[in-house]
Amino acid sequence: MTPAIPITEGFLDRLRKREPEALAEAVNDHARALYRAARALGFAEPEAEDLVQDVFITFLEKLDGFEGRSLLRTWLFGILHRKALERRRTSKIQDRTDAIEDVLESRFDERGNWSRPPADLERLFLSKELGEMIRNCMEGLPSNQREAFVLREVEGLETGEICELLDVSSTNFGVLIFRARTRLRECLELKGWSRS
Amino acid sequence: MITCKEVSTLLASDQVQSQKWWRRAEIRLHLAMCNFCSRLARQLEQLRSAARQSSQENEAGAGLEERLLRRLSKH
Repeated sequence: MTPAIPITEGFLDRLRKREPEALAEAVNDHARALYRAARALGFAEPEAEDLVQDVFITFLEKLDGFEGRSLLRTWLFGILHRKALERRRTSKIQDRTDAIEDVLESRFDERGNWSRPPADLERLFLSKELGEMIRNCMEGLPSNQREAFVLREVEGLETGEICELLDVSSTNFGVLIFRARTRLRECLELKGWSRS
Repeated sequence: MITCKEVSTLLASDQVQSQKWWRRAEIRLHLAMCNFCSRLARQLEQLRSAARQSSQENEAGAGLEERLLRRLSKH
């Protein structure tokens, strides 16, 4: 998980003066988490490193406009989000409907009780191939859902920070994380069935 | 009374904590009585920890920070 480091005015000043120690501090505290997130978002190794470099370059360029109200990680992940969007040329506009909601809907009867309950996945969660299965299932997520999932579940960012950096409301974030988790769980359940 | 569909939607959308206290108590009671919803809650937790675990394979190799700082010093 990424450390939640508030930015002090003193630290900002040191960064604006391009003090090498201050920059090294920012890089040492955040580069690995940004790289991990870039990889989890589907960027291959060299491109992920290039993307992280791009994040820090933009970070330095925009330093003067930063008022220090966010955590450093919120700011850096926000830049990563925008850079990743630019590279993928995908829209951040969220689909109004998603087929995964129909899949979930079909699991309940008209009174809201389970008609097709979640399968027992205990054996699958203990399997050695679980990591590979999850990575495989994550590749099938739409990019905005994948990003919400990675930031919340893998990097452990707070909901408010994610809303700020993805520029979505908390309701929209709820929809994204709901769809991501539901899709991943359904994907694992399918893989569980195909193994048994 | 809260339904399984409502509970599973609140669980998956990270909305349980933002509910009123009496609604959270209702959800807790439901989870204590409903095997399938508590199974889903457990699986969502397992999914989180498995995703964290699997992301460790995405760790950068040695020297990432040094390479970045070297390139950034030129800006």
